[in-house]
Amino acid sequence: MRFRPPKPVGMTLNLAPLVDVMMCLIIFFLLASRLVSAQHRPLQLAHARAAPEIERGALGSRAVVNVRPTAAGPAEYVVYVWDGQRIVERSLTPTELAGHLQRRAATAAAGGEDLRCVVRADRDVTYGDVEAALRACGLARITRVVFSVDAGEEREEAP
Amino acid sequence: MRRGLPEPLSERIPNLAPMVDVIMVILVFFMLGATLTIVREGALQSELDPRSGPGEGVPVEIIPTVKIALEDAGDGRCNIHVMGRRLEDNSFEGLFALLREKREAGADPTAPVVVAAQPGVRWRWVVKAMDAAVRAGFRNVQFAVHLGE
Repeated sequence: MRFRPPKPVGMTLNLAPLVDVMMCLIIFFLLASRLVSAQHRPLQLAHARAAPEIERGALGSRAVVNVRPTAAGPAEYVVYVWDGQRIVERSLTPTELAGHLQRRAATAAAGGEDLRCVVRADRDVTYGDVEAALRACGLARITRVVFSVDAGEEREEAP
Repeated sequence: MRRGLPEPLSERIPNLAPMVDVIMVILVFFMLGATLTIVREGALQSELDPRSGPGEGVPVEIIPTVKIALEDAGDGRCNIHVMGRRLEDNSFEGLFALLREKREAGADPTAPVVVAAQPGVRWRWVVKAMDAAVRAGFRNVQFAVHLGE
């Protein structure tokens, strides 16, 4: 009896599931990095040891104000607003910031919520710059203020 | 007529290896990009006095348990004063030790601790002062705000 040798079959891995998973990961990172850049400007936050890490959601209704240093002159106040289609960045003056916070506080109050202001100030801005944001909070009657700080590794600094 | 067997499955699958290569590169790029932006962000909370401030236009005098004053020493540095007296070692660890002493001596942890900084003082030092007060056990840290623009 004669046996015919089996026909050689090309060995190819089925990579389709791998591609599916990687596509999902890429979409996740694409979306996540976009959301992160919307809320977290590349600011050098001041370091604090006593600051607990807080889930943003636990803060409830909040308005985030980024205080960013500029090359010359006073700091700029950057907020992110929803224009109906996407999140857009707006750089405001202290007076405009007060108006923005007043509108946000009124919207929150209409929804029965108490607005909290999250101040994300760069470590190199001056207290005068942050003070302007606090003054804007005062004008908007926002009493609860949260300062975002770097809760990571501490750098040695002397005043 | 000889009926051929169906073509093996492996021969019908397109070669996905180049696509996997490209996706891997993109994936690594996004993963590295994402990890570089991760900062452990904490929060220090404060309450502004609802009776006063620019919203009301009426200054209210707060009698603090401790008043920490930060004086702008120029060149990005500052001098620390507590209750009107300059801190000897001018360090935030010294400030923390002093505040902890006050707490251990029976100071009320809910009593206001006011941080009054000159407008030119760097924000990092103001946060350090607030951090020292919170670490020492004071829960009500407030800021002195200058009225006017």
